[in-house]
Amino acid sequence: MKPKTTAIGIAAALLSLCLSGWVSAAERAVLFKNGRIITGSGATIDGGDILVQGTKIAQVGKGLPAPTGAEVIDLNGRWVMPGIIDSHSHIALEGDVNEMGDIITAEVDCKDVINPRDINIFYALTGGVTSIHTMHGSANPIGGRGIALKMRWGKSAAELIFEGAPLTSKWALGENPKNSNDIGMGPARYPKTRMGVEQSIRDQFEKAKDYMKKWADYEKKAAAAKASKGKTAPPLPPKKDYRLEGVADILSGKLWVRCHAYQSEEMLSILRLCREYGVKLVCFEHGLEGYRITNELVEYGVAVSTFADFWAYKWEAYNTMPQAAALCAKRGVLVALNSDDAERMRRLFNDAAKTVRFGGVSEDEAIRMLTINPAKILGVDGRVGTIEAGKDADLAVFNRHPLDPFTVCEMTLVDGTVYFDRSKYLEERKKAAEEEKTKKEPEKKSGGEV
Amino acid sequence: MRRLLVITAAALLMSAALPSFEAKPARLFIKNATIVPVVGARLDGGGILVENGKIKAMGKELQAPADAEVIDASGMFVYPGFIDSYSHFGLVEIAAIASTSDFREMGKENPELRVVWAINPHSVHFGTGRVTGTTTALVAPAGGTFAGISALVKMDGWTVPEMTFKEAATSFINFPMTPRPVGEGIAVQSEAKEDVTSKLVDKIRDYLKEARRYLELKKLAAGDPGVKAPEYSARYEALGPVLDGTLPVIISVEKAKDIELAIKFVQDEKLKAVFRGCAQGFKVADKIKQSGIPVIIDSLYTGPSEPEDGYDAPYRNVVELAKAGVLISFSTGDSPAQGKDLPYHAAKAVAFGLPYEEAVKALTINPARIFGVEDRLGSIEPGKDADLIIAAGDPLDMKTEVKQLVINGKAIDMSNWWETLYQKFKSRPE
Repeated sequence: MKPKTTAIGIAAALLSLCLSGWVSAAERAVLFKNGRIITGSGATIDGGDILVQGTKIAQVGKGLPAPTGAEVIDLNGRWVMPGIIDSHSHIALEGDVNEMGDIITAEVDCKDVINPRDINIFYALTGGVTSIHTMHGSANPIGGRGIALKMRWGKSAAELIFEGAPLTSKWALGENPKNSNDIGMGPARYPKTRMGVEQSIRDQFEKAKDYMKKWADYEKKAAAAKASKGKTAPPLPPKKDYRLEGVADILSGKLWVRCHAYQSEEMLSILRLCREYGVKLVCFEHGLEGYRITNELVEYGVAVSTFADFWAYKWEAYNTMPQAAALCAKRGVLVALNSDDAERMRRLFNDAAKTVRFGGVSEDEAIRMLTINPAKILGVDGRVGTIEAGKDADLAVFNRHPLDPFTVCEMTLVDGTVYFDRSKYLEERKKAAEEEKTKKEPEKKSGGEV
Repeated sequence: MRRLLVITAAALLMSAALPSFEAKPARLFIKNATIVPVVGARLDGGGILVENGKIKAMGKELQAPADAEVIDASGMFVYPGFIDSYSHFGLVEIAAIASTSDFREMGKENPELRVVWAINPHSVHFGTGRVTGTTTALVAPAGGTFAGISALVKMDGWTVPEMTFKEAATSFINFPMTPRPVGEGIAVQSEAKEDVTSKLVDKIRDYLKEARRYLELKKLAAGDPGVKAPEYSARYEALGPVLDGTLPVIISVEKAKDIELAIKFVQDEKLKAVFRGCAQGFKVADKIKQSGIPVIIDSLYTGPSEPEDGYDAPYRNVVELAKAGVLISFSTGDSPAQGKDLPYHAAKAVAFGLPYEEAVKALTINPARIFGVEDRLGSIEPGKDADLIIAAGDPLDMKTEVKQLVINGKAIDMSNWWETLYQKFKSRPE
């Protein structure tokens, strides 16, 4: 789904910014008292407290004393879970972000098109989502770089960036890069088969290896020239190629590779390719047939970021089931449930509940699929993903257990700052409606009733 | 899930021994259930007797007849089968593959087309779509202005005729939508844009006028040899029952302004209408209530119609419509692959304030009333079709497993594509 970014979005964004009761964190302390805390690392603390200091969780436990000057918020038995991390998203990006024109686009970077005014950032917060990994589309066997963001609604593009999160590279296999479903992509071009998709990647790796060698040679010669103190003329540098630089970053392990793939056999094939070139694949995106090859996924150590039950929208998404995530998880694959969609993002906690029914994972495991698992996949598990002292105060508060069918997300904090507060939102809405009413009434009177 | 049946040896022996022409009535007995009949009070630990596809009796003291198949539903809940009020079950297998898609015909005016001509009764989506309790679905055509004629089908059967409950359930009109003005900031709807919508509505009115003229002329010609009969038109013929109010017409409409236009349109044209969608219905809920037009809620897997409506508008909309007294029902919308989520839409509305009982009604008796089949479907009452959900818990809960469905009095085969895959790949050695 394309991020909806309109001027209207901006206006509504500003409106909901006021509505969300944005509270600045600074270095002050806030004690959240008397909650049911799902820590995400196995324990649920009934009647638990969380002390937030500045942007971090300072303490988690029972009967924590409020430090002097601390604000105290009574959770009244409401449920708190770690902020949800959506590891596959396309929101908060400017315009259309599927680079159809070329097969390999390792030179592009989502960082350049972050859109902090996308209202979907606010919608993410309303569903308890505090971090996302946003990427461009899947038209390219080797695409550009994705980026992890925090949902700091109202902040600038640069301030949304999840500082310190590893940079990612987006690859894609199957129907999208081979252009199977004719979604307005112009005339037929190579690759048109899964064979061509894989070869496209191999070709680039070979080119990039050459390119890296040229630069290594150049640097060696340049160093020698420098050492010769003018006796040897300095060499000319090779031509700069941004695309191959991007591929070189993959080969040298600078980027965490995330590979969009559906079918089990193409997943196995790409794992073989990665072994051959010494590239580390971190995660399969979607991976709807991953449940068929759990042995191989576990052996390689690659994660799967997937849907709870979205399927049958195209051929490669047909041979799957809502039990897939659970089956992978039970057999030791690191699984994250993602949205890939600005709407599904708002109800990922409902999706997690489905994996309890379909495939029978424990409720704790279902919660982990939304929290610490995607945090690990994104390499930010030291910062987020569980409620424990020292981690970022990214929290989602619910009126019922997050896996309860009738639950509502009531409050969302990022870095200890409340970015969404449903009760304040409703208050503001009521006030705005009343103002609207009083504005209309005088008009009516002056409407010239004779 | 395998069939959850305890068939008594006696029943087996009897059926084997009896010649078919003397077949005993097929009886099914569900015992020890917590029964939520929707119409009438909840019954804890009751029995339901099913005979020849119908609910024969229910009660606390009821005992199983000796020849009945018995399902022990101890600790389980029995609800009437859910009704999906708008779907494309059997009309599309894989959305991206055109050859598997049969719900959207070319052209704007196709009021004569019938989905029963195209339904694939063996679509995998029937099997997967019903795992959460759907026993009947409205299968709808889409596209154009007049999309065709929907059917109500039971979610089990070997052929389309076997599944068909009502071959011509509703007609369809896709109401024109006032587009959002393009431009900066929150702008008001421009006059020009409204005129475009009204003009499009006028086109529909003109088409209906033509159909009326055709039907009148035909009638005249039948009684008067001097009048030349009009050339046969399948389209106008199909609009006959719509125009005389015998066939309900589902009108898809989203924006508040358009809903008001649509109410006027329905009243002027004297149609028996059902609205579908009404994303901004909450803004004109009282007017919808006054009109008496029921509303089929579209999939709640959607954002607000406009950002100003608020992030929770889709859910709040359901709550406000119900509060105003509008007869509402739930549906899964465009993708049968998401058909199993029918009760989850209801759950989402409950989360945002719809009373639980209203939500269950909107899955059962409300759609039965909307489609005029409340004498047969929508509740557990003697005389009605035995379409039942036997669930391990609350069927609105994503964590609940539906153990068995009964459709037309038969405990159906619960196997499905997902279960086939699951059983197969669960057995791969680690």
